[in-house]
Amino acid sequence: MTTMLPIAAGRRTRAVVLVFLKPQRARLVGALALLVAGTIAGLAAPPLLGHIVDLASSGGTTGEFVLAGVGLVAAALVEAALAGLGVALLAQVGEDTLARLRERFVESALRLPLEQVEQAGAGDLTSRVTNDVAVVAEAARTALPEFTRALLTIVLTLGGLAVLDWRFLVAALVAVPVQIYTVRWYAKRAVPLYAKQRVAVAAQQHHLLATIDGAPTIRTFRIAGEHSGRVAARSQQAVDLLLRGIALQTRFYARLHVAEFAGLAAVLATGFFLVRGDAITIGTATAAALYFHGLFNPVNTALALVDDAQAAASGLDRLVGVADLDPPAHEPATVVDGPAAIEVRDLDFAYRPDRPVLRGINLTVARGERVAVVGATGAGKTSLAKVIAGVHEPTAGTVTVPAGEAVLITQEVHVFAGPLADDLRLARPSATDDEVRAALTAVDALGWVTQLPEGLDTEVGEGGHTLTAAQAQQVAFARLMLADPPVAILDEATAEAGSAGARILERAAATALSGRTAVIVAHRLTQAVAADRVVVLENGRIVQMGAHPDLVATPGLYATLWQAWSDSRQ
Amino acid sequence: MKEALTKQRRLITVSALLATGHQAGEASVPFLIGVIIDHAVDGGAGDLVFWLGVLGAVYIALSYSFRYGARAAERAGEQAAHDLRLRVTRRVLHDRGGAETGRLPGALVSIATSDTARVGAVAVAIVYGTAAVVAVIFTAVLLLSISIPLGLLVLLGLPPLMWLTRVIGKPLEERSETEQEHGAQASGIAADLVSGLRVIKGLRAEEAAVGRYRLRSRSALAATVRSARTEAAYRGVVLTVSGLFLAVIAVVGGILAARGSITVGQLISSVGLAQFLVGPLSTFGWVGADLAQGRASARRVAAVLSAPVAVSGGDSTLDTSLKGQIDLRVRDMAVKIAPGELVGVVAADPAVAAEIVRLLDRSADPDDGLIELDGTALASLDPGSLRAGLLAVEHHTDLFDGTIRSAVSLDRASSEIVEAAMVAADADEVARTLPDGADAVLDDGARTLSGGQRQRIALARALAADAPVLVLHDPTTAVDAVTEARIASRVRELRAGRTTILITTSPALLAVTDRVILLHEGAVRADGTHGELAAGDDTYRETVLA
Repeated sequence: MTTMLPIAAGRRTRAVVLVFLKPQRARLVGALALLVAGTIAGLAAPPLLGHIVDLASSGGTTGEFVLAGVGLVAAALVEAALAGLGVALLAQVGEDTLARLRERFVESALRLPLEQVEQAGAGDLTSRVTNDVAVVAEAARTALPEFTRALLTIVLTLGGLAVLDWRFLVAALVAVPVQIYTVRWYAKRAVPLYAKQRVAVAAQQHHLLATIDGAPTIRTFRIAGEHSGRVAARSQQAVDLLLRGIALQTRFYARLHVAEFAGLAAVLATGFFLVRGDAITIGTATAAALYFHGLFNPVNTALALVDDAQAAASGLDRLVGVADLDPPAHEPATVVDGPAAIEVRDLDFAYRPDRPVLRGINLTVARGERVAVVGATGAGKTSLAKVIAGVHEPTAGTVTVPAGEAVLITQEVHVFAGPLADDLRLARPSATDDEVRAALTAVDALGWVTQLPEGLDTEVGEGGHTLTAAQAQQVAFARLMLADPPVAILDEATAEAGSAGARILERAAATALSGRTAVIVAHRLTQAVAADRVVVLENGRIVQMGAHPDLVATPGLYATLWQAWSDSRQ
Repeated sequence: MKEALTKQRRLITVSALLATGHQAGEASVPFLIGVIIDHAVDGGAGDLVFWLGVLGAVYIALSYSFRYGARAAERAGEQAAHDLRLRVTRRVLHDRGGAETGRLPGALVSIATSDTARVGAVAVAIVYGTAAVVAVIFTAVLLLSISIPLGLLVLLGLPPLMWLTRVIGKPLEERSETEQEHGAQASGIAADLVSGLRVIKGLRAEEAAVGRYRLRSRSALAATVRSARTEAAYRGVVLTVSGLFLAVIAVVGGILAARGSITVGQLISSVGLAQFLVGPLSTFGWVGADLAQGRASARRVAAVLSAPVAVSGGDSTLDTSLKGQIDLRVRDMAVKIAPGELVGVVAADPAVAAEIVRLLDRSADPDDGLIELDGTALASLDPGSLRAGLLAVEHHTDLFDGTIRSAVSLDRASSEIVEAAMVAADADEVARTLPDGADAVLDDGARTLSGGQRQRIALARALAADAPVLVLHDPTTAVDAVTEARIASRVRELRAGRTTILITTSPALLAVTDRVILLHEGAVRADGTHGELAAGDDTYRETVLA
């Protein structure tokens, strides 16, 4: 059951973007003014060329030609200077707005309740943070200045045509209906096709990564044929869609060629008759033709950017949708005096109403106590850990942590890209190098850390040095040491490393937990033996609770578990 | 690269011809504008109609040649990239391995996608490069036919000007690129933080992460703004230079026309042609860059395709009536396993355990030693054939997209065998907890399942392969004790009579073996039943029971 994260409506997106633009208003107006002035300067060139043509037909002097030439150079210089400044300023407005928007988005994304992110499926947020941010950024960086510039050139050139003679403007507008039709025709086909294309390319990437990552497994099980077949199919699908996109684009340009020809023929014919009727000079006709010929590139640019703009708009909708949620920042937990560290009262919990996961849980954990949660897979151990840690809200009943902050460490290890020290400082931004080192020493990790190419400053995570699963888990424990919370919850934190590695991690976990109230989801019963108290879960209920020796002596689920565990050790 | 593109030779040739036609058409348009204006002075309406007809014909020709030229060029490029992508994939998956040596999976994926695409783009670059050369020659002919001095001025003046803009532009461009990269990092960091969301949430480090992202985003912003400024400056330079050039042509052409050396229409044509020439000449710029990138990418692709194999030699096929006797002598380790035995191997050093699996799988050959299966050296066997008879599964093993059933059966095991394997590995229990049972679809490496659930499905897959010899490395580390004990006895039952090696330190698994071999400090330290070793060997107790 997935519930997508919200997508803002177009109107809401525009309102948000306007709010973000507000502090930049002066800059924006300045940028537009510079661009308009620059474009006008550039539009002086065709009439000047027309003037040269007139001089040529009336036999002008060399001095007059040179003067016109100087005018051309001046026009180019002014255009270059003003338009350059304008584009730079406009890019700054775009970039700045984008930066604030993406910060707000990431802030909102990181503060979202995990439940909501998980219900939407892991891919939803990830695709927004990678694809949508990239699409919008690309649009702000290139499409926005180019589009603005092209649009201004088109509008002002049409104005220039009207100044030369209003009949030229009418002639040029012959092209417009064809262009409008073409863009509509194109957008209708391009948007769904590009959406399909993106899906196909992403599927191809995903598939290649899974195949290459899993190459050892594929060789071992001799399934290379199937897998290269699947890669081939996905790749071919992506290629076919890309080629369909190209075919569509070429048809789009073919239609624009029709518009170009129609407009150019009309402008030329108009010039032809006006010159013959002595209404204008041949220079003016030249200027008009050059104006119209000069429209080809900006028109193509503007129309081709229409689908970039649409992609960016739908990306923006998805960013604003999350940014608008604006969940509150995590408040530091308040510490309440008293003997209890964790109190769970009549807790029910379910991911889906028809499938209860936890039922009627009552549990009080004393300060400094170490509780192990034991039970078969699917008994609800992980869910209990997550509810206590505040990741999930109880369906009924209450969970309070009077002792203060509760930190959850799971088997899901993620090493953050960047220097290792930065990763650790996520847990405590103010930690000194010595404190970081002390935390690593406590979890037996300083040895391998100092052997990394650049020690604590080694780039790790994606794109950097790859840590083993066990090392990554040690890093997780070191973060716990630095975060130094009164309550720690461990879920399967030592499971993935293989048995021998698990023992090293158990030692690290023991150090990291000392002095804290701890709830440990135990896989290896050694963890249960070391705990002050054991809670046994079965089908979402607590069936037994007590110290290890007592439970072993009492007939019941734990005794059975223990029997199985110790039998294998005889 | 040559090889990949040679296959697309026909498409490339056709599209180069068409693209040339398109460029010639585009060059003719400014030329025709001049001709038509010329006729406005002294021609009749019939001339106008005639020349507009010519313009129309040119448009039809250029439009169609662009349409089919571009399609053919892109098809050639995409097809070349696709072929290379498959060759890279096949090389990576090749039985003898070796392509991954020294390359991270991410790097290989980028070779299989970005680099192959860049090699493909060379096809497109060749097409447009050829067309640009022809366009320059065509324009030169037109210009020289109008006026030899003006033509020479354009043809000799333009290249140094283009060179000048490149010289000025290059450092700017480079600076802009590095700053762009800085800017792109901001989105990379956001993605990384989101993929570690659970860790951040668990640590309650949301605010620290938000703060960190804000810092990165700000410095990325500064970099991109600098880069945008640089780019704007560069464009200004280009604009100025081309304006200067146009002015010179116009002035010289105007003087020539005033003296009567050329007509007014020819002056207009010359100016138009000079403007047009900037297009094909700047094409050389990106074509050059694409070719250089394509060459670098082709080298990376070729390096993967020609990567030395991890295990060379040996191409005999395995005898079908396999007994399953293994004789391993590597360095100081000597291990003998009789046909049909269920043996536990305990290695105190996890690296040694992983090495043995790789050696038995023939993912690697021993530097110093010999391994024999039924008296035949593994090194003399074809790896694919060996793995059909001896399946050695690493601890870290991947599950692929598809249903649970197909993940276990690999679309070849019979449903009875799959059923039995699922039960033995307790994977039927995993399927039962999911709404769609064994038809539940696992995607993204089955990451929605817990570690223990994944392990049980992977174990079922290994058992369903029904190999005469099966080697498993720590298959149940994330499985709870009761389930593990149940799995252990069922695996024993299912594998009865066929050689099975469990490389593990798990007492639950070791307890069901016929015999356990303890490897310590590079040699066999002890050999006996689990009970004997647990009672009599301190190292064993320390490694297994601690």
